[in-house]
Amino acid sequence: MTEPDPNQHRAFERVWGNRPGWGALAAVNHTSIGLRFMGTGIFFFLVGGLLAMLIRTQIALPEQEIIGPETYNQLFTMHGTVMMFLFAIPVLEGLAIYMIPKMIGTRDLVFPRISSLGYYCYLFGGLIILSSLFLGIAPNSGWFMYTPLSSAEYAPGPGSDFWLLGITFVEISAMAAGIELTVSILRSRAPGMTLSKMPIFCWYILAMALMIVFGFPPLILGSILLELERAAGLPFFQVAGGGDPLLWQHLFWLFGHPEVYIIFLPAAGIVSTLIPVFAQRPLVGYRWIVLAIMITGFISFGLWVHHMFTVGIPQLAQAFFSAASMLVAVPTAIQVFAWLATLWVGKVIFSLPMLWVFGFLVVFVCGGLTGVMLALVPFNWQVHDTHFVVAHLHYVLVGGMFFPLMAGLYYWLPHLSGRMPSRNLGNWGFWLTFIGFNVTFLLMHLTGLLGMPRRVYTYESGMGWDGLNLLSSVGGFIMSAGIALIILDVVLHFRFGKPAPRNPWNADTLEWATRTPPSSYNFLSQPRIETRHPLWDRPDLPDTIAAGAHGLRDIGHGRREIYGTDAVHARLKEVIHLPTNSWWPLLSALALAVVCISLLIRTYPLALVALAVATGLLLRWSWENGAHPKAAPLGLQEPTDPPLHSRTCDGPGLWGMAVTLLADATLYLSLLFSWFYLWTVSPEWRLPEETPLALAPLVLCGLLLAAAVALYSRMTQRLRLGQDRNLLANTALVALLGVLHTAALIGVFAGADLRPTELAHDAVLMVMLFYLLFHSGLATVATGLQAWRVKLGYLSARLPYEPMVLKPFWMYTLGIFWLSVAVFLLLPMAWGSA
Amino acid sequence: MLKALWRPTHPAHTTLGLILWSLWFVALYGGLSVACELVPPTLEQGAVNWLNASLLLLTLATTGVLLWLTQRCWRAAKRFEGSSQERLIAQVGAGAHGFSAGAALIVGLPVTALPPCL
Amino acid sequence: MFVGLIALWWQAMRRDPGEISQEQVRRLQNRWILAGGLALPLGSIALILALGIPAGRNMLPLPPAGGDAMVIEVKAYQWGWRVTYPDQDIELTDELHIPTDTPVDIHLTTADVIHSFWVPRLAGKLDTIPGRTNVLRLEASRPGEYRGQCAEFCGIGHAHMSFTVTAHPPEEYEKWREKAQADD
Ligand code: HEM
Ligand SMILES: [Cu+2]
Ligand SMILES: [Cu+2]
Repeated sequence: MTEPDPNQHRAFERVWGNRPGWGALAAVNHTSIGLRFMGTGIFFFLVGGLLAMLIRTQIALPEQEIIGPETYNQLFTMHGTVMMFLFAIPVLEGLAIYMIPKMIGTRDLVFPRISSLGYYCYLFGGLIILSSLFLGIAPNSGWFMYTPLSSAEYAPGPGSDFWLLGITFVEISAMAAGIELTVSILRSRAPGMTLSKMPIFCWYILAMALMIVFGFPPLILGSILLELERAAGLPFFQVAGGGDPLLWQHLFWLFGHPEVYIIFLPAAGIVSTLIPVFAQRPLVGYRWIVLAIMITGFISFGLWVHHMFTVGIPQLAQAFFSAASMLVAVPTAIQVFAWLATLWVGKVIFSLPMLWVFGFLVVFVCGGLTGVMLALVPFNWQVHDTHFVVAHLHYVLVGGMFFPLMAGLYYWLPHLSGRMPSRNLGNWGFWLTFIGFNVTFLLMHLTGLLGMPRRVYTYESGMGWDGLNLLSSVGGFIMSAGIALIILDVVLHFRFGKPAPRNPWNADTLEWATRTPPSSYNFLSQPRIETRHPLWDRPDLPDTIAAGAHGLRDIGHGRREIYGTDAVHARLKEVIHLPTNSWWPLLSALALAVVCISLLIRTYPLALVALAVATGLLLRWSWENGAHPKAAPLGLQEPTDPPLHSRTCDGPGLWGMAVTLLADATLYLSLLFSWFYLWTVSPEWRLPEETPLALAPLVLCGLLLAAAVALYSRMTQRLRLGQDRNLLANTALVALLGVLHTAALIGVFAGADLRPTELAHDAVLMVMLFYLLFHSGLATVATGLQAWRVKLGYLSARLPYEPMVLKPFWMYTLGIFWLSVAVFLLLPMAWGSA
Repeated sequence: MLKALWRPTHPAHTTLGLILWSLWFVALYGGLSVACELVPPTLEQGAVNWLNASLLLLTLATTGVLLWLTQRCWRAAKRFEGSSQERLIAQVGAGAHGFSAGAALIVGLPVTALPPCL
Repeated sequence: MFVGLIALWWQAMRRDPGEISQEQVRRLQNRWILAGGLALPLGSIALILALGIPAGRNMLPLPPAGGDAMVIEVKAYQWGWRVTYPDQDIELTDELHIPTDTPVDIHLTTADVIHSFWVPRLAGKLDTIPGRTNVLRLEASRPGEYRGQCAEFCGIGHAHMSFTVTAHPPEEYEKWREKAQADD
């Protein structure tokens, strides 16, 4: 491979590289962050695996008392929690963070500091959750935390709090990754890479990212509500106050079912990436697969009730969900047959990654078949909550996620180490894992059909379960041995592996055009890409890129620059300048961790202080943007064609705002859903006689908001036309209106006659008011800061970017305000008088 | 702007059908739950009552609209033989609309057989 | 079906296709995906639903032909089952007695958390939900003792929350009932 000119390389490393020593903690580079995500995820996998082995030891034989019921309950709860939230999702996010910029031919994700914040939230949240296990106070209500078992009355210890707060904290990282990956894929692909030229993996990740954006908010809302119930006694899930425990199940599974596909889609993406490479032919049915991905993404949001078939929902409603559940088999079958057809027309090179893909197919198809069986309501009534379900879920999760992940690991190992793995050890690892897995879980189907319920710490002998359980446990240990071998293999290969040749598998995608291991800037020059298989069609690309034959090869300006392109056609639009290494993400995450811990130990004043500190840090961080001297101050050495993104009216920030608002709106919709659900279905729901909120002041408050938003949008419109007369005065005026509006809202809130601990109705109102207050306050503060930035010259007709980003937020704030007035106030009033 | 959105080669059409499907699904499940809570039809009527009938009507109407959209995208895909980008979008759009139509029909079918609120 | 698919896959991996034109690939793609990706799953779904929905309807607690079903109230608690025969002055713990060949409606409630009433050999499971009453239809065709247990995780005692359902022929059931009432 032609190495780049060493001077060039050094100059790029100086701008793009991490700081040495401890300074590496300030890194924001996607390669580093991706590797950290994956490393931490694998650590949590080992923890989860250890817990699984303890579980299997306890139920290997009947009537054992090695581990008592209390510890057993903590073990399986933590096993499920760790595997789902701390292993599966973060590892796949890490893979996407590492791969996506390389595959779309760019140098980093568009919000690098957000990646770093996400990582630290994940790490700290994970450690907080894990610590509960060592303190012996881990959550013990199962990984879906059904109320009332998890509520204050039946789980008085802090276990549930660890779960709710810790998981919510970890969720920040998932949301961050979801938003950032979406925007990166849509707005920073190499020029020329239209949607139809995008590597198939990117479609999968785009779908995963959007599913995170829409899937996680219900759980976040649910966790907040349940934590409020536990800590402050608001009866969202208590029948006596007008709440309903089933609301939790709806919110949880609204998240929980899509989550399974959030895990499956990227894994299927790995398979779709590997199969064409090892068949040495383009993927057959690219369009079909894109279609299948979209269908999966949508349909998976319409299935959640299939986890609740036994709670007593009308059978007709169950039939809807049953049919919808079976329909997901269609996109899956499309993919399986597209893979088959690709293999059929290609001459397959059989190697270790393909072995894992083969294992994936066998296990996953099996899991899919039992899944269709489960979707059938009468059958479900029989085996729901038995070990049959445990077996099914491991066939789907381990088969559908772990096996492809291992295939991907072996495939991309040369990329991240520059060395080839050994064949022998790897083969042993595969076969032990595969055999061990099937022994464990195939037999578990039978145990379940024989009636063994899940989550029992022991069972009587003589039910026909003894031998099967023993064999299952033996299988578990065989599988562990296999995994140990894989780890050994990977560790050894870093020392003893043969150096990898360039593009060792003759792959078609751009990540193999970087150096191996990759440099911090990926590509020394950014090429135009006009084919779906760049390295097959233009094998010289790695050389020309390294030789600086393409765009953005200047580095003298010292900025981290990448191309910004339009979402559909990838036409070049702007040069995005990215922030460099920064401590703000780490500091903010630390402050948030303190918030989390102080809520756990119920020291609320400390929580407030830490929250204030965190807010301050986040705002301080956002200060260093745009034309700030630490970012891209106005200067001579700046490109004009295309311009820097902070000089335009449309850039990744605006897209980031839009996607964030989608997530935010989903959160709000979940609240609306809760409201209507409790209203119509909850057994003891009561409306208070009088509306607790004063209507007239609220309307006044809303008019102030409307004025602020109208003024702000007029201001942005004029900025767009290049007019910035009175910009300072206008911005300050909007901020002032915002202050008045927020103050009025606080006044209404303070004057409201709410009894949130007695009535679920009032409790929901209170959450709604806090939600409005948060948005109004944030919009106001941000506008105030913008006025200041106008004064410092960071905002002007030449620098119109930031107001464009904030404008949708103001519009959203206005929208939810009036919607809330209508739905939470006027509707009940109309209902009451009718 | 709106006109551009309505063109069958706009990427929005790859998701429009599925969004319609989702809205229909919410209406179906939500309508059933609310109706059963507030004004349940009597048990004796079995599967033949006003509630099932309106759900069936809703389903058929949605399927119809989706089929029409499918045909629109399908035609567009034929027209854009040359450009791979436009064709991909129109084809995926046709597939998504078509699938949504089928999905609405299959998911909605049980209203012909089961009593609503039991 | 499963075996067939794996075999096909195995064959696909091993075979050497030689040169294949773009056109052939296209035809193959459409044929396989339409047959395997659409027809196969849709066909199976139609079949399963056609069998499943009537089966589900038969399990509904619709009023039986000859009047009302017999009712037993079961209240689950941590960790056991309180069984009441309404209007008959019978209260039991962790055991039910029912006549054979008679539809029995179990009215399920809970005193605390969610549990799930499950007699594997008689019916599917149904949860007990705070604030609600769920109705499960049981009908035993053969006399004998059936084991049941809680199927929804409910805390420390979950593993030991089992019960029995004893089905008696109708005459013996009457005898049992009189005896139980006398005992109370
Ligand atoms: C390493 C091999 C594994 C073994 C031997 C294993 C074993 C088990 C067992 C025995 C249970 C049932 C506990 C009970 O119901 O009493 C269980 C539950 C579960 N496992 Fe695994 N597991 C393994 C890997 C995984 C992986 C890789 C994932 C996810 C990616 C996973 C996710 C879950 C979940 C979500 C549950 C349900 C937890 C709950 O009931 O709350 N497991 N596992
Ligand atoms: Cu599911
Ligand atoms: Cu239980």
